[in-house]
Amino acid sequence: MLIDVFTLFREEADSNGIVFYYSGVLSQNVIKAMGDSLKQKLQKQDEKGAKSRKVFSTFIEMIQNAMHYSPSSPDYVPSSPDNDISKEGSIIVGKDNDKYFIICANFIEKRFEQRIREKLDPILSMTAEEIKLAYRQQLKNDQHGDDSISKGAGLGFLTLARDSIEPIEYALRSAVGSEDELTCFYLKATI
Amino acid sequence: MTDLYMAGSADTPEIDFKFSSNTLEMSGEAYPENGVEFFLPVLKQLQAYLKSLTGDSVEFNFKLTYFNSVSTKILYSLFELLNEYAKSNPDSVKLNWFHDEDDDTILSFGLDIQEDFPWIDFNAIAVA
Repeated sequence: MLIDVFTLFREEADSNGIVFYYSGVLSQNVIKAMGDSLKQKLQKQDEKGAKSRKVFSTFIEMIQNAMHYSPSSPDYVPSSPDNDISKEGSIIVGKDNDKYFIICANFIEKRFEQRIREKLDPILSMTAEEIKLAYRQQLKNDQHGDDSISKGAGLGFLTLARDSIEPIEYALRSAVGSEDELTCFYLKATI
Repeated sequence: MTDLYMAGSADTPEIDFKFSSNTLEMSGEAYPENGVEFFLPVLKQLQAYLKSLTGDSVEFNFKLTYFNSVSTKILYSLFELLNEYAKSNPDSVKLNWFHDEDDDTILSFGLDIQEDFPWIDFNAIAVA
């Protein structure tokens, strides 16, 4: 019966150190509520707070990035009403020994794949020192008006990379059933 | 010039710019859905205020405890404005940088500000 399945789901999540999981509509109101819930859970687990702040920051950067990148532009027309997954995403926060991991997944329009690769691939090959330098450079770079879709995602990805104690990871996978227009974008950081 | 006050919320900071007494303060958290839209009018008012001054001393109390990357970028522009004013009016801008004693992220952003905007009198204040 379904209650048994749900019990198993919850117990598995608990035993795997899952602190927080969400999958659904992304709006700023939902993000605020999730942020509040996450903060309270983290406060109970990490009394010093320095780590909590980085987990919270990573969470907000990822989920807002998901909200901004999700198909929502006026020129995006889903091929059928069933494909209208605009502004949805999933995020998970968990603890593995002393490390927190945060993984976010959201659909993007296929045409943005290349842009994401171009932004993330260089960061993936940087040392911690190079990330700091690139962050400083991006901070000074005044050209944030030229790319209305990425909002400043350049600094967002560098913020994630700067705070992650292991190199950030990403994956782009075809969206089952909507391969021609949508891609699922996964991003992972470790705090 | 009329003072600027905006009450804070979960994702927007409290902004208390007392232009009449040259004391500016920002506190709370900043991760609005559209950071540019939120901060741009604030920056414009600050710019108009600085233009109206005749060498007065300005004190800025920075007390934000979290700001996302978009807000970080805009705050950088805000301090750029203050630095420009201080450049033409030396020793006029004091920036009190309040940060939690174990928050290295906010302190290190403050140190970047100090390095990039040397005309601002930067004063880090660790809060226990």
